Amino acid sequence: MMDWQAIALTARLAAIVSVILLIISLPLAHWLTFSRRRWSFLVESIVSLPLVLPPTVLGFYLLMSMGTRSPLGRWWSEWTGHSLAFTFEGLVIASVLYSLPFAVQPVAAAFAQIDPSLREASATLGASAFRTFARVTLPLSIEGVIAGLVLSFAHTVGEFGVVLMVGGNLPGITRTVSISIYDHVQALEYGQANQTALVLLAFSMLVLMAVYGLRRRPWAAAPIT
Amino acid sequence: MTLAVGVTKRLGPGFTLDVALSAPPGITMLFGASGSGKTTLLRCIAGLTRPDTGRIAIGDRTLFDAKNEVDVPVQDRHVGYVFQQAALFPHMSLRENIGYGLNRLVADERQTRIAATAESFRISDILDRRPAQVSGGERQRAALARALVTEPSLLLLDEPLSALDHAIQSRIMDDLRRVNEARRIPMIYVTHSHREVYALGIQAVVIDNGGVIARGTPHEVLDRPEQSVLANLAGFENVFDATVVERRERAGTMECRIDGTDTELEVPLNSSAVGASIRVAIRAGDILVGSEEPRGLSARNVLRGRLAALTAHGPTMVAAVDAGARFIVHLTPTGVEALNLQPGDHVWLIVKTYSCRIVADTPWHS
Amino acid sequence: MRWFVLLVAVLAMLAAKSGYGRVAAQARRALTVAAASDLQAALPEVIAKFERESNATVTVSFGSSGNFFAQIQNGAPYDVYLSADIDYPKQLIASGHADASSLYQYARGRLVLWTRKDSGVDISGGLRSLTDVRVMRIAIANPKYAPYGRAAEAALRYEKIYDAVRGKLVLGENIAQTAQLVDSGNASVGIIALSLAVGPALRARGTYSEIPALAHPPIDQAAVIVSASARKPLAREFLAYLKRPDISEHLHRFGFTDGR
Repeated sequence: MMDWQAIALTARLAAIVSVILLIISLPLAHWLTFSRRRWSFLVESIVSLPLVLPPTVLGFYLLMSMGTRSPLGRWWSEWTGHSLAFTFEGLVIASVLYSLPFAVQPVAAAFAQIDPSLREASATLGASAFRTFARVTLPLSIEGVIAGLVLSFAHTVGEFGVVLMVGGNLPGITRTVSISIYDHVQALEYGQANQTALVLLAFSMLVLMAVYGLRRRPWAAAPIT
Repeated sequence: MTLAVGVTKRLGPGFTLDVALSAPPGITMLFGASGSGKTTLLRCIAGLTRPDTGRIAIGDRTLFDAKNEVDVPVQDRHVGYVFQQAALFPHMSLRENIGYGLNRLVADERQTRIAATAESFRISDILDRRPAQVSGGERQRAALARALVTEPSLLLLDEPLSALDHAIQSRIMDDLRRVNEARRIPMIYVTHSHREVYALGIQAVVIDNGGVIARGTPHEVLDRPEQSVLANLAGFENVFDATVVERRERAGTMECRIDGTDTELEVPLNSSAVGASIRVAIRAGDILVGSEEPRGLSARNVLRGRLAALTAHGPTMVAAVDAGARFIVHLTPTGVEALNLQPGDHVWLIVKTYSCRIVADTPWHS
Repeated sequence: MRWFVLLVAVLAMLAAKSGYGRVAAQARRALTVAAASDLQAALPEVIAKFERESNATVTVSFGSSGNFFAQIQNGAPYDVYLSADIDYPKQLIASGHADASSLYQYARGRLVLWTRKDSGVDISGGLRSLTDVRVMRIAIANPKYAPYGRAAEAALRYEKIYDAVRGKLVLGENIAQTAQLVDSGNASVGIIALSLAVGPALRARGTYSEIPALAHPPIDQAAVIVSASARKPLAREFLAYLKRPDISEHLHRFGFTDGR
């Protein structure tokens, strides 16, 4: 069935985007939460833009900035030989930007509710900033991190407008499941559309159940008195 | 190694912390009301807060010097800090908490040190539990162990016992004293409890509104009621070192003699043996004055003395009476008038047994 | 914490799986076609036959002509562009994105009214029947960028009923989506392409009524080869194939008239 290609493509896209966002969101959320710079609210606003922008607006700007007529698009085709838009790589970049607030916000929220005296205690005991992060901050906020990971994944799977604009619906390359379903509906192939949608639903449920089912709460984020 | 601190920091409109003090090895009590700036001072010393100006040094190691732009980061200061709420890492066992600062040691040596410190704080058999699974007192002991196991050159304690009940406080204070005898590092202990000041400190520094208003031994500092601030803070204007001379089990009382005098007081019974040294505190407001020898009173402590001084302090008349030891008594102006008291008069002091509080089992010697 | 590491490891494995991005490109000889969605019913058979005869793999993306136009201008990697409005290919040629010599007007499109058999709406009266109060929503393609949408609006104005019915209009993103709006019952009637109405899916489910060709400017449809294409020989083969009499005949059966 042709659509296994779309499903596999979507799964791969969501996986790559989630991992990239995990790597980006941790330092970004850390800086946003703990920085004392007064202009951090500016960065926060920029990061949150995709939450309020309609996907088509975002898709439009991304297409403009990644297409062959843009500086970025031209630089990319010189470097790699293909265009940036209408490729899987272009989708990855677009999806990372589009799902960024979904990864950053839960993590930042989790960081913020850690009792500051725990991080201070770690520092007084000689721990470097990195050690405090790895041994205190991160373990105590792991649920927020996982939430960010799951949300990035789910959000990427569900994308449509941005993917269509930037990706161009090329089968096997940028035709994700959501677009594939849309295609089937347009071609009045309701049976196919239904099948694909069910597989997507089942897959998403499995992912969510795996993540939430395996979660445990052996500790709270605040010290007990 | 002595800690030398001289810093200022603006804390709010019209409120600036401006403190200079030096703390020799041993326990220095930093005493003051909430909001007086004592925690901020502690945080400056630890490096958690940056002072506006000044200098902080331990021995010849400078931690902070505004003029020469020295500001050693927290993690390099080697200063132990015990937080008011213990701040133990909830996701680690007590053992892992205590060992947290020892990560650069080999596993064997780390375990040895943890075991030794845990022993001295009596928590050896609960090391593998999580903070949520132990009591408040045990948590605070673990916090102490965690701070001390790294052998810091200075220990800072921010009201570490305020959340605990008195019995537990006493035991932990004993632990601390033992540690102090063994280690000889400056320890700065912030508190708003005068009981703790008497029980622990060799040096007390009183902070009010961002500045030092008194400095000296607990006695010197807390027995000066003309400083109204101190009088409020202290609450016990009379504190005496005494020796137990008799125990009366059935009556539930003890007889003790104030050191250096013949004056004896009946105080509530505790576990002290005959010959043991105790510290007795009596509020000035709990002492009655009579111009004639009283009869038919239930009170056991009736002392004869001479009124040495009488001063007005706001609405209160403060009388200093020599009755073997010097007692400070608070009276109303009406009372003074009624008895027509004058300095030099013979007076009788009446003190209920239960107005005599035993503050610590052992007096603190420097 | 360990579960978290496991989760990330699984994700990393998923992410590392290779191959899907390149499948379509590497197989045999391959061609990518961007086709206006009014060809949704007629083109698949044409493509299948071409694939057999020339031993190539053709991937088709259906969509709105306007959308493809914008994408091709921004470097979308299609080889051949079949547009429902000859204006777009002409603009692409002017801006250097398409080869002038390849321009081929392959058909002229026709408009029809279409409704489901069970909708209870009588469209035998032609466009006039749209003013009936029982007709609550009318689907047309978006006149801003869909050729069939522009033609539909022109026809409505020609009939002088545009103002009367404009409150009932529901806009589809392209002509196929417009048909789907009616098919799903979201609109009771639609102005769609004849080529879709006679297609196997809709023919069984609904009835159509032709809208006279003079009610709107002609919908001239043209194909063009994209300049940036790396598979021009195969693209030219495909266009030559489209010009064959038997293929034109096939298109005629779907209501496309000759493109003159």
